[in-house]
Formats: sequence, C-alpha cells, structure tokens
Amino acid sequence: MKNHNTYLVGLSFLFSSLLSASELPSGDEVAKMINARDEGVAVSRQVKMIMTDKRGKQRIRDTRGYRKYFGAEKRTIIFYLSPKNIKDTAFLTYDYPQKDRDDDQWLYLPAMRKVRRISASDRGDYFLGTDLTYEDIKLETRVSIDDYQRRVIGESEVDGFHCLLLESIPVDHKTMMELGYSKVEQCVDDTIWMVRLAKMWDPQGLPLKTIHSSDIRQIQGIWTQHQLDVIHHKTGHKTRFIFSNVNYNQGINDRVFTQNAMKHGL
Amino acid sequence: MFQKPLIIGLFWTFSLSVYAIDFNSSITVTGQWMASIQTGKSQSLGLRLLPDFDLNFENGWRLKSTVRLQSELINGLQINDLNRSGYSDFSKPAQLTDAVGLELRELYVQGEIGQSFLTLGKQQIVWGTADGLKILDIVNPQSFQQFILADFEQSRIPLWTANIEQSIGDWELQFVWIPDQTYHALPRQNGTFAFTSPELVPIAPSGVSLKVEQPRRPSKILLDSDVGFRAATFWKGWDITLNYLFQYNNLPVLRQQLSTTGGNPVVTIIPEYERTHVLGATFSNAISDWVIRGEIGYFSTHYFIGNNPALNQGVIKSPELQYVLGLDWNAPADIFLSVQLIQSWIINDARKTTRDQLDTTFTGMIRHNFLYDTLTAEILLISNTNNGDGIIRPKISYQWQDNIKTWLGADIFYGDPQGIFGQFDNNDRLIVGVEMFY
Repeated sequence: MKNHNTYLVGLSFLFSSLLSASELPSGDEVAKMINARDEGVAVSRQVKMIMTDKRGKQRIRDTRGYRKYFGAEKRTIIFYLSPKNIKDTAFLTYDYPQKDRDDDQWLYLPAMRKVRRISASDRGDYFLGTDLTYEDIKLETRVSIDDYQRRVIGESEVDGFHCLLLESIPVDHKTMMELGYSKVEQCVDDTIWMVRLAKMWDPQGLPLKTIHSSDIRQIQGIWTQHQLDVIHHKTGHKTRFIFSNVNYNQGINDRVFTQNAMKHGL
Repeated sequence: MFQKPLIIGLFWTFSLSVYAIDFNSSITVTGQWMASIQTGKSQSLGLRLLPDFDLNFENGWRLKSTVRLQSELINGLQINDLNRSGYSDFSKPAQLTDAVGLELRELYVQGEIGQSFLTLGKQQIVWGTADGLKILDIVNPQSFQQFILADFEQSRIPLWTANIEQSIGDWELQFVWIPDQTYHALPRQNGTFAFTSPELVPIAPSGVSLKVEQPRRPSKILLDSDVGFRAATFWKGWDITLNYLFQYNNLPVLRQQLSTTGGNPVVTIIPEYERTHVLGATFSNAISDWVIRGEIGYFSTHYFIGNNPALNQGVIKSPELQYVLGLDWNAPADIFLSVQLIQSWIINDARKTTRDQLDTTFTGMIRHNFLYDTLTAEILLISNTNNGDGIIRPKISYQWQDNIKTWLGADIFYGDPQGIFGQFDNNDRLIVGVEMFY
C-alpha cells in the first residue's frame, strides 16, 4: 500500500502541474488516478440500503460487508442482516486482474440453504432490488479500465469541490449491452481522486441514473464515502446507501471469503 | 430420552463465563388456502407459525432455535394424513389435536473450536446442486404429506446431528454424524397424496387383500446411526464436491408375503429400512452467460418394487446410479431460465421391477423478476419421459412490504396414473398464500 501512496502522490504532483498549466489530463490518466487511490488492503463496514419507489414506499436492508485484496485479486462478501425476508442472504465475488478471466460470483439464498453460482455476464443486472448493478457493486469507488474509452471533457464543481468531467463510452456494443450503459459521465474530484457524481445513459441514449457520493471523509487515513444516492430516472426509484463502522484496520480472516462463510453467516 | 442429555450438553457449552451479547427473535406467519381444480372444493386451509430465536455469545458461539406450529382448518391435508412411523421418538412432532401439530425445527449451537466449525443439534444439511428434485439432498429425510409440492425448507425433516466443518488448504471438509433414526414421513393410504403408483408401492391384484405391518426400524443409536463426509473445493473456476453417506435409505423396503386367511389370499407388506452407501459428486461453473451444474450419486443398494410378489418377497435389489445435468441462463431483463436432465439407472437387470431400467425426467423453469424484485412470475415444468407424466407449477408472488408477501399459484399434474406424477392427476390445485414476518 505504501507503493500505492507514493505512486498516488507522484501522479497528483504531476497532474497539479499539468492543471496549473490549464491542460486537462487524458481520460485514461484520470482513470488510473482513481484506481491508484488507496482503498486499504481490507475493509469491513456496515451498509444500510434504503430503497424508495416512485410512490414513496420504502424498503430498508441492513448489511455487513467485507472486502480484501489477495495480491491483485479482490474478494468481496456482503451479508444481509435484516429484514427477515432477506436475512442471511450472502453475495460473494472474486474479481480477477486478468482481462480474459470472468469474475466468479456466488449467491447464498437461505430459503434454499444452497450457495448458487451466478454467471459474471449478468453484471448489468440490478443487485438485489437496488439501483446499482452487480458491476457497480463490484467496482465500488473504482472504474473499469477495459470496458470503456474515456476522455476528459471539461471541469465542473460538485458540493463545492472542483472536479474533472470524465466521459466514458463502452468499447463495443456487446460491452454496452452487458453493462446497460451507453455513456457514463463522472465528476472526479481531482484532489482526492474520487467520483463525486456520476450520470449514466441507457443503450438507447436516454438518461438512466445519477449517482451522488457524499459525506466523504478520511477514515484511518483513507478517503471514504459515507453516503451514496442513486436515482433511476426511468423508474423514479431511488436507493440510498449509508456506510458506517468503516474499518480498514480490522484483520479479516481469509475464511470470510468462502462458501462456508456464506452459509454460516456472521 | 435423547433430547435431554443433548440439550444439557449444548447448554453446558455456555455455562462458563459466557454471556449472550445479541439476541434476535422473529416470527413467520404463513396462511395458505388450496382448492382442488377438479372439484372446486377446498383441499387445505392451513396456518403456520414459525417463531425463531437466535442468541449470539461473546465467545462467537450461537444458539439457534425454531419451532413450527401448524394447523389445518379444512378437511383435506390433515396432519393425520401422514404416517408418523418414519420419525424417531425424539424427532416426532407433537400432535396437539387432530388439526394442530407442533415440531421443533431447529435447536443447535454453532461455533468454532480451533480450526473446526461445529453445528451440534437439530438441523438441516443440504447437499447437491439439483433444483426441484433430489439426488444428494438426502442427508435429511422429507415429509411427503404434499408429495414434493411443499417448499423443501418446510418438507425437509431436521435431524439431531453433529456437523463438523474444517478447512484444510483449498478444501472445505464436512463430517456429519446422525444418530437420529428418522426417515421419510409418508402419506397414509387414505391421505390426499397417498402413493398409488406401482413404482412406489405394491399393488394387490384384484381379489387379493393388502395388509401393511408396522415398519421394522433400526433401533441402536450408535450402530444404526448415519455418517457422511463431504469435501468441497474451488478449482480453476469449478466448484467441486465429493460426497459420501452411509445411511439407512429414507424409504423403507416394502417386502411382501403371500398368505391365505380364511381361504382368501392376502399380501402382507413388511416395511423395513435397509442401509446403503452413497458415493456422489457435484460440480458447477459459470461459463459466459451460462451456469453449468450437475451432480451424480451412486447408491450401492436400492430395492425396487418387483412385478412378481412371490419372487424375492416382491423386491429386486440393485445398485442405482442417479445424475442430473443442469444449465442456467440469466437472460437480460431479469429473466432466469433453467433446464435439467435427471436420469436414474438401475444397474442390474430391471425387467423384474415395476419401473424401467433407465428413468428420465426433464425440468424447465423460467422466472421473471419485475419491479425491483418485488414481483416474481415463474413457471416450473417437471416431465418424466418414461411414463409421459409430469407437473406444471405456475406461480406469481408479490412482496407488498418487507414483511408481507402474497402468492397465487397452481399445481397441475398430468399423464399416466401409473406414473409418479400422474398418480396425482386428480389432485390439481389452486393456491393462494400470504406470509408475514414480525
């Protein structure tokens, strides 16, 4: 992680110089900065998901999630704590660094008492009733390097913070259909290299979603979002994610990221 | 007699300086009405209460308990429909009245000792990857009060079990010891879903009366207990398990004796439980948009109904091989498609049995989630090609709120009444249900 930080500081210095010269960095350079940001080797946190439909009816889920890097491979597991109808459901994903290797994903459904394999090509599907897709959940605060061609189209401001406008277009039609987005426009805070606002368009080019990240503060030295608001423009549905008890220093046992752990729960 | 020492043992685990740090409880209330499509009459109006308690202790251990109180308000699917002789004394549900039953569904402690993860007590253990039908999901027996129509979670019969799991390298090992001699709970002869297919029960020729004796049950807790072992790993993208079970087959062998009483021929059926070794394996992998999964089970000794009651007491012994190959496709727009091929092969000569040597069943399922997973429509087809029979199960369910779910469905049997599904051709039903959580 130390190397990560050194790299980040170096790149930040470089980009500060570039920006002061009124030259915007390339899209790929911004993407690299986002992905080089320190997000800790491991993290545990609680996430409350508040889903509100267009009539104002709310459903609330409480979850506990763990994420850990095993070298370049990222493993994430999410346990549902409440409500009762979804309690003990668990989602596990292994995200590999190799371009040609699909992620491995599993879902534990307590009603069946079975861990089911899920195909990674469903990454554009919505994650368990929320407005984020499986791919959104997997990426967290990072961006996919291989799925998009990107460029910086200008500068803007979100919540009083300066940001670079990063436009990303899927590399081909297949990828667009898999992801469910024809274009993504992100407002990237060029001080801490986090996306503060993202807008997505569907494959027909119509506005699809807006994702607003807020309450960003440092936890154990790592910039951390504490609230994420997703608005789905086509359905009027919204999801708010509230992150709490974030801990980057908790030692997380490797066995947490196994199918047995999914069955046993927390 | 068995419950007491076990429960004392379980609580002993917590007797020293251990305090509950977290207590969760909830109750699930389910009401379901079923009406016969053929007659329009109510088949069942049932109410089920499932209170559960979950205590978590500061040492990481957990005590979980679930009880099921079930009542039937309308004649049809009565608790009395079920022959209770499959249950051991210490797992038998209490029958409070003719219409009300009470069953301990779960009572176990769970925690780690060293590198081992232990679950001790009454529990369900699920093996296998097949949906809708079972090959390796046989560690626990099941209730056939509603044939295979009830949710497996509810029809599976929990057993008193010591379940030990441990990770060694890339393998997750599981050892189970089941001293609870409970087997399938089968419907009585006058029950709504009583078996009448000659593949499942002997059929007396006309003019011959039939008498069924009480089953001969294993009775030695240690010597007659079941043991099982499962090793699971994740290898190059494949989820693989190897399974072994040494168990009493959950279905009794139905041996027949011919005699005459008062000059009239009588067939006496003597149910008896017999042991079998089960060797199995499962696999699954995601390849592009598809998930491929399968399981195979080899049963060293199975007994099939013979077509001559005078030969070998009316049963034919043979090893059996069962396997399933399944393909799932998560199609765009939250559509899920799944197909399975399930085959059962009697390894010895099957000509003297009432079924074919190779029995083939296909299943197909399509499910569509709407409205952020609150509305689900699905249809399941199970079709046996040997008898040309099967079942179609359409269902729509809607989650009104997090704690209220309703559904409307149907179970429609078709085909040869001699077949396993066709035998219930007159039991087609409509189902309306509601479930609430508190």
